[in-house]
Amino acid sequence: MDTIIIDGLSFALPLFIMAIGGIYSEKSGITNLALEGFQGFGAFIGALSAVLIANTSGIDVENLFYVSFLFAMIGGMGFSVIHAVLSIKFKANQVISGVVINILALALTTFLTTQINALVFGAASDKFRLGVSERFTIEGLANIPVIGAIFTNVYPFEVIIVVIAIFAWYLLYKTRFGMRLRASGENPHSVDAAGVNVSKIRFSAVLISGLLSGLAGMCFAYSISANFSSNIYMGYGFLAIAALIFGNWKILPTLVACLIFGFAKSGGTFIAQAMALPSSFTDLFMILPYVLTLLLLVFFSKSNRAPRALGEIYDKGKR
Amino acid sequence: MNKDKKKKSLSYRLFWPIRNEKWQPISIPVASILISFIAAAIVILLLGKNPLQAFYNLFQGAGIFPKSSYAGYKSILTDFLSLLNAMTPLVFASLAVAVALRAGLFNIGVSGQMLVSGFLATVIVGYSGLDAIIAKPLVLLVGIVAGGLMGGLVGWLKYRFNIHEVVSTIMLNYIAQYVISFFIQMYYVDPVSRQSKYISEEARLTLVNVEIANLKMDIPLGFILAIIIAILIKFLMDKTVVGFEIKAVGSNRKAAKYTGINVGRNTVLAMIISGGLAGLAGVTYYLGYFSSIQPKVLSSIGFDSIAVALLGNAHPIGIIFSSFLVSIIDQGSTYMSSQAGIRQEIASVIIGLILLFSACGAYVKHKVSRLKEKEEDRKDSES
Amino acid sequence: MSDYIVEMKHITKSFPGIVANDDVSIGIKKGEIFALLGENGAGKSTLMSILSGMYEPDEGEIYIRGEKVQISSPNHAANLNIGMVHQHFKLVEDYTITENITLGIEPIKRFAGLFPYVDIRNANRKIEELSKDFGLEVDPTKKIADLTVSMQQRVEILKVLYREAEILIFDEPTAVLTPQEIDFLLGIIEGLRNSGKTIILITHKLEEIKKVADRCAVLNKGKLVDVLDVKTTSVNLMAQLMVGREVSFESEKVPAQFKEEVLKIEHLTVKNEDGFEVVKDVSFTIRSGEIFAIAGVADNGQVEIADAIAGLTKVSNGKIFLEGKDITNESIRNRTEIGISYIPEDRQSYGLFLDFDLSTNLALKQYYKEPFSSKGILNKDVFEQFGSKLIDQFDIRSGQGIKTQVRSMSGGNQQKAIIAREIELQSPLMIFVQPTRGVDIGAIENIHNMMIQQRDQGKAILLVSLELEEIMNVADTIGVIYNGQLQKVASSESLTTNEVGEYMMGAKHE
Repeated sequence: MDTIIIDGLSFALPLFIMAIGGIYSEKSGITNLALEGFQGFGAFIGALSAVLIANTSGIDVENLFYVSFLFAMIGGMGFSVIHAVLSIKFKANQVISGVVINILALALTTFLTTQINALVFGAASDKFRLGVSERFTIEGLANIPVIGAIFTNVYPFEVIIVVIAIFAWYLLYKTRFGMRLRASGENPHSVDAAGVNVSKIRFSAVLISGLLSGLAGMCFAYSISANFSSNIYMGYGFLAIAALIFGNWKILPTLVACLIFGFAKSGGTFIAQAMALPSSFTDLFMILPYVLTLLLLVFFSKSNRAPRALGEIYDKGKR
Repeated sequence: MNKDKKKKSLSYRLFWPIRNEKWQPISIPVASILISFIAAAIVILLLGKNPLQAFYNLFQGAGIFPKSSYAGYKSILTDFLSLLNAMTPLVFASLAVAVALRAGLFNIGVSGQMLVSGFLATVIVGYSGLDAIIAKPLVLLVGIVAGGLMGGLVGWLKYRFNIHEVVSTIMLNYIAQYVISFFIQMYYVDPVSRQSKYISEEARLTLVNVEIANLKMDIPLGFILAIIIAILIKFLMDKTVVGFEIKAVGSNRKAAKYTGINVGRNTVLAMIISGGLAGLAGVTYYLGYFSSIQPKVLSSIGFDSIAVALLGNAHPIGIIFSSFLVSIIDQGSTYMSSQAGIRQEIASVIIGLILLFSACGAYVKHKVSRLKEKEEDRKDSES
Repeated sequence: MSDYIVEMKHITKSFPGIVANDDVSIGIKKGEIFALLGENGAGKSTLMSILSGMYEPDEGEIYIRGEKVQISSPNHAANLNIGMVHQHFKLVEDYTITENITLGIEPIKRFAGLFPYVDIRNANRKIEELSKDFGLEVDPTKKIADLTVSMQQRVEILKVLYREAEILIFDEPTAVLTPQEIDFLLGIIEGLRNSGKTIILITHKLEEIKKVADRCAVLNKGKLVDVLDVKTTSVNLMAQLMVGREVSFESEKVPAQFKEEVLKIEHLTVKNEDGFEVVKDVSFTIRSGEIFAIAGVADNGQVEIADAIAGLTKVSNGKIFLEGKDITNESIRNRTEIGISYIPEDRQSYGLFLDFDLSTNLALKQYYKEPFSSKGILNKDVFEQFGSKLIDQFDIRSGQGIKTQVRSMSGGNQQKAIIAREIELQSPLMIFVQPTRGVDIGAIENIHNMMIQQRDQGKAILLVSLELEEIMNVADTIGVIYNGQLQKVASSESLTTNEVGEYMMGAKHE
């Protein structure tokens, strides 16, 4: 039971922070199917910086945890500039742009990982080894039955995510920037008429989604996979999108969706292990979050309402 | 002043094909390809290698230019046939993307649809021991039906429940990948190769190691079918009521509904056709180019086909040309890697870049038409 | 130092394909109501968009309070105390009135002296006071989606007042209001003037100008025709100057000859996406040779009635009969076949495929039949012949004839193309929803004449319009709708404009 909660949380929270990024972008009116690519590229930059610094300074990779997170966020944000430029400045189809970015991220990071491994480390490897980040347990609280699991074996990044998520909530719902951002996705003309630059708002919203996705990607790399390789592209970005649709583009309900995904995943693995099934059965349990996503979408896609101006190209000069 | 004018006319001439709207469907993809190769050349230069040599190797590996030496039973012809063999599923897959695109849908589940139809054809026909004359058409049929059903499911989810097809196809990709991996490992695994057991030669859509004139060639039967299907799809989209309705739905769903077109039926129909084509891609890939299935891996063709379809403007004839090019990049990359010492993965980077610049093409078109409108105005006000 | 608060000198502005303002010079005095009169496309809105910082002029100078300025953005205009009340409201439906009004200049407080947040409570209070001061009472915490059109307009006005505007521009403010609401609004406008504000009123309605304006500039095809003193100028002269020729205000109409019943609606109820009843138990009939108009303020269910008849919206209760046949559950296409022509409200997103060429768009309701196609194969030659025929017959103007991309055609010609296509179907029932929206006066006359001509040929016509003037001019029978219910059905002769207005607001019942 405890492992379900512990593993579920450590999967759900990165998913959640990525979904928040998606909410920012989509609430501002930019369809964002590129989360998958952002998180992969962000994790690549984070992992690369970690192994490079470890290599030159001799610090152990496991300890470069916070540095790599910083770089991952910068990397994810940098890559998201492509989506922002394509869909805001170049007025390209936002769905096409998203798909293109996902493909490009996979191709680029795979190539660069092998190339840099060969060039810098002289190793024929397609991954950067990172290890798993350390965990901590809050002693007193961990002893509470059931809930105690929340405070047991916590990854530091989970704390970071909770802090950032609270700040993201505050920024989106309580500040000027958030008010204007949400209005941009509903009726950009009203924002424009109020003398606020819609493109700037949307640009920053997409960059925020890149930043948060990069963070999420790094979490996956430091926990589930313990390395960076093309295996980072597991469709988690799309799970995040499903979560935010299920959450009706609101932050708190989206958290619920992410938790459901997280517990479905950890629960599935737990059952497979508990029943001592042969390893091929784990494949069957792997599909749980994906099937769940489809089912949730079947029930919630139609009733939930996307931002009104989502995906529409905003042309201010139009008469 | 005079100098200025000359300068203008030079750039005017240079960019004429891009300014001319008639030529844009060709000039913009060509420009995307050129820019991508230039970008790749810069990367190769930075790695300290000679890009021209590398690109030449690429074309050698694909059987376009002759290699310096060949192994026994091999020649430029056998290389070229391998290229066509690899290109066949790509043509089908790109047509699948294109048909969906015309209906305003983004089928990025081609690789999942390929896997499902390839797996079912393998299990139903590949291990059956049927005669070639029955087995081969049956493989095609199973492919079309399995892919069509899967595509139709996506269309139905989209219409009935408003589920974005990009999300649902990705989910189905992963589900297909894991479920099929489970079945392969449980029931059909070859203990040596760790892949599914090889299918019978009778069921295979590529004739392998056919000895002609002292050469061992792979003859892709599906290639001819791919060309025929491409022409059929062109006819369907341009000349028929069905094609017109699919395009109408893709162009403006509201107007299509107002016109009396059944939007739901056409959404599902377009996805069935798209899925059926993906199914053909699947069988020509897993029961043609290969003869077994590697578990837990999705074919990269699903993604390459998006590049091909965008590059070819979702036009069947354009797709034949663009899939030829992308196949060259894919096929030649191994040889290039061995000859020039550049990582094979750069091939997918080049394809990714082509995709990126193709996506910018819409902007170029938009800008050009804006410029033209302005010019017209100037003419108006001057006269 | 001139006595003008606003002076625009030699303003020229052109857009692709059109010179919207051609060397226009006007001066506006402080504390007057200055009207800008002109047809659609005369350049009134463009001129005022320049003044409010939405566009920059190609040529010309602007002086505000005697100082030369370059107004680069709406913000800049707001700093100069210029504000525009837009015709198409620019409101966020999900936001409250306060949130909409303060958007862009949100008042800020700090939490724990650190984290800034938008202080909605304070803003609510301020807006409540402001609204009382100007007689525009609103509940600032209500969401826009729950407001009527005239209330939404109040929000637009408050937006401008909140920004402390001294110069207020009203862009066609009465287009979608009932006569009573118009009177109220004009009262507000006069009140604003009396409290020292300067008002610019963009309109094409002469009686409004006569009622409130002090002076009036007439624009025609982008050029300034004249600036008139309203008190000493006749309405007829203003109209002539506006159109550039004499106009008849009423369409010529022979008395209607009603024949057999064509459309019969029984207890029609329609729900919207949220399950809310937007049409409630509506019954009426339309006879051959009759123009039946539904009058009402926007969003009172009239468009849903038209959509339900055409099959675009599901009927949740009641029946629809066409020539005696129950069509309540027929598909859209079958209804077209049985005999419905439909000119939809939104021509660009429903009526046309903007990316397809003109001949395809003209054949849109027939492409699947002989001779346009046989055995599922399209015959492009027939498309082209048919297109050429309609282009000649209805005088549809376009750059490249049948090959023109519809996107590049003018609004009036797009509408002509739709009407041509629908008339060509020879349906016994024709539905026109807002057929003259956004087309110029010449085309309006033309469209009205076509409707009457169709009526005289024995068609039954359903007209849905927000323009009461249009309804009073063309209709034989008027049904007034309010809140999804038909309030009154009567012949147009038996009703006055004011009566219709009262029914439109639900103030009067049968």
